[in-house]
Amino acid sequence: MNTGLRDRSERTAGSADLQAKSRWVRQSVVRMIAGANRGHIGGSLSATDLLVALYHSPLLRFDTRSPLWDERDRFIMSKGHAVEALYSVLASAGFFDVELLDTYGKSGSRLGGHVDHHLPGIDVSTGSLGHGLGIGAGLALAGKLDGRDSLTVAMLGDGECYEGSVWEAANFAAHHRLRNLVAIIDRNGFITLDSTEAVNELEPFASKWKAFGWEVREFDGHSFEAISDAWSSVEDPTRQRPIALIASTIKGKGISFMEGTPNWHHNVPKGTQLETAEKDVGIWDLTR
Amino acid sequence: MGFDSLGVRMPLPPCATDMRDAFFVELNAIAAADRDVVLLTDDQGAFALEWLRKNLPNQYFNAGIAEQNMVSVAAGMALAGKLPVLYGIATFMTMRAYEQIRDDLCAMGLPAVIVASGAGYMYSGDGPTHHAVQDVALMRTLPNMAILNPSDAASTIAFVKEGCSRRAGPTYVRIEKGVLGAIYPDGHDFSRGFSVLTSGEDVAIAATGIMVHMALETAEKLRVSGVHASVVDVYRLKPVDAQALMVELSRSRYIATLEEHSVIGGLGSIVSEAAADYGRATNIKRFALPDKFAFSYGTREWLHAQDGLSSELVAKQITRW
Repeated sequence: MNTGLRDRSERTAGSADLQAKSRWVRQSVVRMIAGANRGHIGGSLSATDLLVALYHSPLLRFDTRSPLWDERDRFIMSKGHAVEALYSVLASAGFFDVELLDTYGKSGSRLGGHVDHHLPGIDVSTGSLGHGLGIGAGLALAGKLDGRDSLTVAMLGDGECYEGSVWEAANFAAHHRLRNLVAIIDRNGFITLDSTEAVNELEPFASKWKAFGWEVREFDGHSFEAISDAWSSVEDPTRQRPIALIASTIKGKGISFMEGTPNWHHNVPKGTQLETAEKDVGIWDLTR
Repeated sequence: MGFDSLGVRMPLPPCATDMRDAFFVELNAIAAADRDVVLLTDDQGAFALEWLRKNLPNQYFNAGIAEQNMVSVAAGMALAGKLPVLYGIATFMTMRAYEQIRDDLCAMGLPAVIVASGAGYMYSGDGPTHHAVQDVALMRTLPNMAILNPSDAASTIAFVKEGCSRRAGPTYVRIEKGVLGAIYPDGHDFSRGFSVLTSGEDVAIAATGIMVHMALETAEKLRVSGVHASVVDVYRLKPVDAQALMVELSRSRYIATLEEHSVIGGLGSIVSEAAADYGRATNIKRFALPDKFAFSYGTREWLHAQDGLSSELVAKQITRW
């Protein structure tokens, strides 16, 4: 069917399809960052499978031909530095041409280093951490007041949860019983310089969200079965509270020497590193 | 003012010239007619706001003492088609939530009205944490922001309407509590951004907010000593028609500015910048608050006098110019 409409009620993609999409997105992330000689590779790769599930299962409702469709779900990439993964996923979903990704890092490109609302498929500009959940709470509150059935989904980094404004928003959303608000936390365990637990412990992380009045699901953020299973709690009609999906992920997922190390927040692979990275993500059989 | 459709009557403010109540009585009427108008507050009350809280509960949200989240929530609601009106203490709104105002409201060009209580030294005895004396400077540097600084009840009411009708970005409105003398008749046209209140060819005094009243007193004192001053109320601090303002102020040889704001970044800066841009940067004196924290406690007038701001002191300095 030649239409841009995708609805979470018509989830069609299987795990194999989604894995193929993720593979393409990881190839694109490496290409963009290597080409631009800049970017946030670790956090893009940890978020890739979650983003692919949102847009290719799909878990969200949207229309690529009509990005401002009134009934769409709203997605906010609060960890706005993972822009390479988001832009790749949006391009692969059909919001804009994949050729646009090749302009990343070039002067005059429409694609900057953080998420920009001027692009189709993007509702909210981000870049400074700690803003997205509050904006999401406002969208969800307005949706509740207007009796809409759409969801608002904000993806946060775990390091982002050091920001106090995240917890202001968590408190507000729970108080107003914003069951139409979903926080996805990319729990890759690392900030720029070190692991979250070495710097300022976030654990017991799930307990903190629960104590703020949220429902919580913890799962493997690289397993499409686990993501889909967690999403069933989002769609549970008996749920009354906002829900936090804490996705256990690996920073730099897919590139052997990056996985689980703190060195690849915004470093750029070069030389033999780039060769290994390209092999790891299978860039040599890149097909569009 | 009554609302038959709601079956309730809205209280009149206790005094027709109480600026804060004038603001909220007008806002109540706008909200009653448009369910997309929503009030968010960081736990600040007002007599006339009680009507909105009780009668339009789906349009009234106490966000608690959490300004950063309140501004982000407002941005989300604006994205969903609501017109958020944010009400709180000026310092906490503009400073605690500055980045949210910049990134969430201004950068995305979202409509919102930020209603700030406690302009300048209004909370005089509460100390410098509560003195909003840098707020205009902070708000003025933000693209897409508009700033309105009313000087009486009529201008306050007009600026509720102007803020609520603006769609290109947020509007920051400084409001006063209590009674100030009426300057404008109902229905006055504020579209120019400034108004000439008195004419005089010796010195032009540009003032804003509560200090417009001090400027009028200063002009009267000057008149007694044979100096003819014009008083220009600059109530729209952004955007400013700098060229038109300079044409008006340059009718006099000397230009004075008078404001209850830091000497850095407020009306004095606005006029000086306009003068520089239009080649008239001579004979300007800025009467404003010094670049310091006021850890001294007393009435607002007393604090003004500590900083050399009274109609007597300003008139004396202008006479000696």
